[in-house]
Amino acid sequence: MSAYKQFPKALGIGLTVLLAACGGPGNEGDSQQVDTLAQGSNDQAQVIGLGGKLFSIPSPVQTALAIRKAGLKYQKDLAIPLDKGETLTTKAAQSLALGMYGADLAYVTVHRDGARAIATMQVIERLGSAIGVSNAFDRTLIERFKTNMNNEDSLLRFSGTAFRAADQYLKENQSEDISALVLAGGWIESLYLTISDAAALKDQTMVDRIGEQKNTLSALVGLIAATEKDGNAAALLTSLKELQAEFAAVSSTYIFEKPVTDASAKTTYINSKSTVTIPADKVASITAKVAALRNMILA
Amino acid sequence: MNRTLLFSFAATLGTSAFAQPMCQPIAARCEAHITANYIPDGQFYRALLQGDESATFDLTLFGGTTYRVAACSGESDGILIFNVYDRSPEHNLLFTNKDQNNAPYWDLAIASTIDVTMEANLDPSKAGSGCAVMLIGFKK
Repeated sequence: MSAYKQFPKALGIGLTVLLAACGGPGNEGDSQQVDTLAQGSNDQAQVIGLGGKLFSIPSPVQTALAIRKAGLKYQKDLAIPLDKGETLTTKAAQSLALGMYGADLAYVTVHRDGARAIATMQVIERLGSAIGVSNAFDRTLIERFKTNMNNEDSLLRFSGTAFRAADQYLKENQSEDISALVLAGGWIESLYLTISDAAALKDQTMVDRIGEQKNTLSALVGLIAATEKDGNAAALLTSLKELQAEFAAVSSTYIFEKPVTDASAKTTYINSKSTVTIPADKVASITAKVAALRNMILA
Repeated sequence: MNRTLLFSFAATLGTSAFAQPMCQPIAARCEAHITANYIPDGQFYRALLQGDESATFDLTLFGGTTYRVAACSGESDGILIFNVYDRSPEHNLLFTNKDQNNAPYWDLAIASTIDVTMEANLDPSKAGSGCAVMLIGFKK
């Protein structure tokens, strides 16, 4: 379509934006059905929703809780050295590191290492400022951390809320590429914390948890590929695809069972059963690939 | 050329200035549904929808976990419909809030880890277009 044909539509979008910013057009109540977007604004849906396709990566907090539940010993040295964040200069590396330190924060928090959690929050604050999300990670958050140090639930909620606020800010300011890198960093570090403990690889629940990452990795590859700008994540994407090749050997089974809904509790119980199997040699190769990927990011 | 430049300007303006004021109050209202018993998953899911457009995303829900899904649009609750399907070839419907009067939030208690697809679309009887926001939290 030529620019000339797009012109009226673009003008419509622009005028609607200006009207919205001024509080208009103000036709509420004219109809029960509400149109809060301009007519013919499909371009917006395409850009903001990446063509209607969104992406979700499991929270690093869930992995940290699984590690603790499995009874694995806390190893402070598995977390990234605190001074590493200072050495990263590119926005891509800082974004990945922000997500990685977020995973470390969950890990040290669920293991009740308050001093390390505060120190990690301070690194996150500096990295957040470097990539432009200082609104989410600020001094107030650190103070809230300090005053709730003995309340793990509050700490995990604060960090989850802060990362969500950062994600919202990035997505609403055309920085989906940065948002994706933060998520990628969190996922990679979570997986690293899981596989770096030899005891985890002898725990079937944790081995299953590793295998259950297969589809998340596919989503992550899709997310990075869809949002990458200027080749700033080319090496990461290549490494993730190599890791994906290792995960290809992971197999799974699924048996559907009808869910049960308790409407009064606003809860649906999803009772379908699944299993996952990873060949032993693939556990080793996945472990090696994840460690190499992490080293590449932090180099 | 001037028209091309104006198109670029309008499109840029349309995706930044427009989305923020529209989605911000919806996000704030939706956050209230992820109550203190739930830990936010750290992500913000939103799309601008028009007509029968849908926003979808795939996610893994881990066994032994209860998730809270909040879905919001427009100026009040009950405008956004969300469906949860498994990712089997049969694409079984696991939950739809349409059966629960478009409830703005719902808990999903997961017995065994499952890969699902979430799909959100506007209730056509209530909205023709708007910003759709979904938030997810989980119980520790």
